[in-house]
Amino acid sequence: MAEKTYTFRVQRNKVTGDGKVESRWQDYQLAAEPTTTVLICLEQIKGHQDGTLTYRMSCRSAICGSCAMKISGRTRLACKTHVEKVADANGVIRVSPMTNQPILKDMVVDIRPFYNHVLKIKPYLQEGSETDTNVGRSSYDQVNHVTQCIMCGSCYSDCTMAEVSDKFVGPAALAKAFRFVSDPREGKKTARLRELSEENQMWSCCRCAQCVETCPKDVKPMEAIVKLRARGMQKGYVDGPGPKHALAFHGDIQKTGDLNEFTLMQRTIGIVGTLGELGMALHLMKKGKIPSPFPHKVEGVEELGNIYRILEENPLDVETKAKEVAPE
Amino acid sequence: MSLEFSFYPGCAGKQVQKEAKSAAHAVARELGITLHPMPRASCCGAVSLRESKLAFSLAVAARILSEAEAAGRNICTICNTCLQTLSHANYRFKREPDVLEKINGVLKKAGVRPYGATIKVQHLLWVVTDQVDQKLLKSKITRPLKGLKVAPFYGCHNLRPSEIYESKAGDEADHLDRLITTLGGSPVSYSGSRKCCGFHVMLSDPTEMRSMVAKNCLDAKGEGAELMISPCTLCDMSLNAYQMPAEKVVGKKIDLPEMNFAQLLGASMGLDAAELGLERLHVDPRPVLKSKGV
Ligand code: SF4
Ligand code: SF4
Ligand code: SF4
Ligand code: SF4
Ligand code: FES
Repeated sequence: MAEKTYTFRVQRNKVTGDGKVESRWQDYQLAAEPTTTVLICLEQIKGHQDGTLTYRMSCRSAICGSCAMKISGRTRLACKTHVEKVADANGVIRVSPMTNQPILKDMVVDIRPFYNHVLKIKPYLQEGSETDTNVGRSSYDQVNHVTQCIMCGSCYSDCTMAEVSDKFVGPAALAKAFRFVSDPREGKKTARLRELSEENQMWSCCRCAQCVETCPKDVKPMEAIVKLRARGMQKGYVDGPGPKHALAFHGDIQKTGDLNEFTLMQRTIGIVGTLGELGMALHLMKKGKIPSPFPHKVEGVEELGNIYRILEENPLDVETKAKEVAPE
Repeated sequence: MSLEFSFYPGCAGKQVQKEAKSAAHAVARELGITLHPMPRASCCGAVSLRESKLAFSLAVAARILSEAEAAGRNICTICNTCLQTLSHANYRFKREPDVLEKINGVLKKAGVRPYGATIKVQHLLWVVTDQVDQKLLKSKITRPLKGLKVAPFYGCHNLRPSEIYESKAGDEADHLDRLITTLGGSPVSYSGSRKCCGFHVMLSDPTEMRSMVAKNCLDAKGEGAELMISPCTLCDMSLNAYQMPAEKVVGKKIDLPEMNFAQLLGASMGLDAAELGLERLHVDPRPVLKSKGV
């Protein structure tokens, strides 16, 4: 493939004496093959054009998680990103540090906020009464793809909720929490679910799926969050502000976390029950935006009741599972 | 050429955001798109039902998909969250035959036609920008936007996870940008364009939700936007009906009119403002439209 000249528009950042960050954009031109990685280009620039350019890197093979940075609008691993994929029509590639973490210099950020959140979920197996001593072939169905996480922080950098709340633990921490909740050897699964049901944990994810899209290791953090919520509700943790919302969205569900068949029918026929606060309801009413409490009944509604009953009598396991990683 | 779909407007389109639904019907009529009602279709349950009862949520989706399949049509929706919920289920049914078989077993027992996993789930925006003859579309634009700066807000459930959608998705999606250009407007590029409006944390994290609304709107305004459009009844609700509450949280005036893409499309076709429900919007787009003769 032919070489092409690309423009790397790099954000240069410097922390000044009073702790403020001074930013400016600097352009570097570099000829590269379309499949050259952004990291190799940065190495070329640092080696031959400007030794002051600062970023983190180590493994060059998407293993260590050091080289995460914003590249053309998204957080990506520089060592796993081909230049052509991220260049715009004029061959420009924008490079800046990860967001939601304080900048130290150029592309280097202080990763403590990210790591401290991960530490909060106790990222290790704990002894306790729920340890399963039977570890079978399917025991790691849920654990496997979450363990691919390399703690690069990309998902946290792109997380919509982290952008507006530094208290939210974030996608990687929750994916890791799920890894321990589903590990047969973990002894405190229920206690974990209780803690995860508290504020700023699993219920604060706004389900934008950005982390699923961003993660370079296909961890799919939001999918893990959805599964955590399901497990939390099954254990009866339905009192926090988060689950209350999930329930308010559709109507009332019994406190046990079990669905009440009558209200479930209503949910399924559908009421957008998001009008939580009275003030907001009045504001919406001005424009006639209050849903009818008696929505139109759909035809064949008894079929839904049948489906529900059949599934309650014979539950189906239809969760997505990680592919088995068998030795060759 | 007539484009036939089974229409799944979603509960918000049927109730709180019914202006989006009537605007959808109005533009469909003009563009030769037939939106057939789905009398049996229930609510799809969104992600909430997936969290509380996974198998049930898949069966509910299969029942909806099956109704359209029986009529020999693809589904067309105007709610991003419905689009995501039905696409997600459909994606699994097409790739995991064992899951489809299990769910169909339940449907059969419950007296429901099993789903053959043959149809597609589409958004009206995709139909308008990819399937409608663009010459026909252009010929209908009697009141072009004359360079009006319009911010496209895609909404996360229109885009991600990109693998599940049967059209361009994720960072590749460009439907709204293309539509704005076709209407004679100029699409604004701003950082919130593919972010989330916070709808699903409206009650659990109300301040954060309002900050998201404010951030998206202020970003767009900062890049010169005079109007914002979205393809989703729920995004509309957040970005428009919640804009004033969001102003209170950030202590800044926003004042950016936001409307459903079908409403703007209808307005530039010169359709009746009442049919488009423009008076139902909290932040009124009519003054800025009027300034361009729309
Ligand atoms: S889905 Fe949730 S965790 Fe993932 S980026 Fe969005 S808000 Fe963050
Ligand atoms: S989940 Fe993915 S993006 Fe997030 S830290 Fe782990 S590897 Fe990185
Ligand atoms: S996702 Fe929301 S709008 Fe769509 S059908 Fe379900 S409740 Fe209604
Ligand atoms: S932006 Fe908000 S309403 Fe729109 S699709 Fe995303 S969560 Fe739903
Ligand atoms: S250098 Fe190690 S992940 Fe990129």
